[in-house]
Amino acid sequence: MKEKDTISQGLFGLGVSRRDFMQFCAAMSATLALSSACIPQIAEALEKKKKPYAVWLEFQDCAGDTESALRATKPNIAQLLLDIISLEYHETIMAGSGYFAEKALDNVVKNQKGKYIAIVEGSIPMKDGGVYCTIGGRTALDIAREVCGNALLTINVGSCSCWGGVSSAKPNPTGAVGVPEAVPGIKYVNLPGCPMNVENVTATIVHYLTFGALPLLDRENRPLFAHGKRIHDNCERRAHFDAGQYVRRWGDEGHRLGWCLYKMGCKGPEAYFNCPTIKWNEGMSYPVQAGHPCIACASKDNWDAFGPVYDRQSTIPGAGYRATVDKVGAGIVSGTLAAIAAHAIIRAVKGFKSKEQLAEIKKSEDES
Amino acid sequence: MPKIAIDPVTRIEGHLRVEVQVEGGKVIDAWSSGTMWRGIELIVKGRDPREVWLLLSRICGV
Repeated sequence: MKEKDTISQGLFGLGVSRRDFMQFCAAMSATLALSSACIPQIAEALEKKKKPYAVWLEFQDCAGDTESALRATKPNIAQLLLDIISLEYHETIMAGSGYFAEKALDNVVKNQKGKYIAIVEGSIPMKDGGVYCTIGGRTALDIAREVCGNALLTINVGSCSCWGGVSSAKPNPTGAVGVPEAVPGIKYVNLPGCPMNVENVTATIVHYLTFGALPLLDRENRPLFAHGKRIHDNCERRAHFDAGQYVRRWGDEGHRLGWCLYKMGCKGPEAYFNCPTIKWNEGMSYPVQAGHPCIACASKDNWDAFGPVYDRQSTIPGAGYRATVDKVGAGIVSGTLAAIAAHAIIRAVKGFKSKEQLAEIKKSEDES
Repeated sequence: MPKIAIDPVTRIEGHLRVEVQVEGGKVIDAWSSGTMWRGIELIVKGRDPREVWLLLSRICGV
């Protein structure tokens, strides 16, 4: 393997200007919710450190996280991600096939043992000896044990590699689990989402390179900078929730005016992700802004734990992690959510005047 | 005569294995197999039809 450039040499070699580089460092500092005093420290780390070796494994995946990382509209964070790491193996984008692909992976695992970053996309099937996902004749489980087991750090990108995601939705036909369950005891960070957001992946790696440690994590091993705040609390439709202005049917006046999607099934009050602030596609938009309810894609077992996507959250299971990032107990959780629901009803009633309208609201409340 | 297996076939979405039988420098037979299965058909069975598109669209993220 060739000698690696430092990160900034690699960036400047690709035509990234000094100004762009400093802007990138500032953006990373902001995403990580760090003080601007950390910008020079980030810049220094990226200027001096060699690129770490990284391999990107795909198991039971849809390549959606790969797409999320690569399909940006202009060269930017995605390019930067590929420039701050030395990506030696990635099935979807690498040139070599078959033996040559496997050899590239093997080289990293053998020669960089304990020094490389393993990025994993997709779940690992445990049923029937793991036959539901094989690569080069080996099961996903076998590969994960070897590659993640010898890595410096494993980064699980997307909900599937964190805890099973779509593949593990009921009835979980292949016994799909996430990497932490399949390979216990490894050092890892979860960057869930369906798909994950590349800015969070890049920021996590930059944090690790700069400070030699992972950012603060919650109980699901998700970085707090990305999953510490509730979508509902940062939602641009929040004022409409507070005012009792709800979308009641797709395409109704409220929907056209950008009112609150809570009654259309929005899981924002229970979802923790930084979508409303960093958004997607170069900060263009995110599902709630585009008019679709949040499906809590970065929450564990979201396909089953939250009930039907388009049903309003009316019954709140007492599971702690969904209602809080860390230590708030289930009792407080239920109380808070009951308060949200009551608040919503009161606001809705206040917002209307005629008896007919009140009756209609009551009916819809009873139905839901 | 040699049988050549290419696994993984890269630059695609999903997991693919191709085996070819070669005789006298010519491919005389070939087999391809998708080597990953999640059973999304079984996952959507019995679900609220309105949300099925969300699950099915995750068959392929490309």
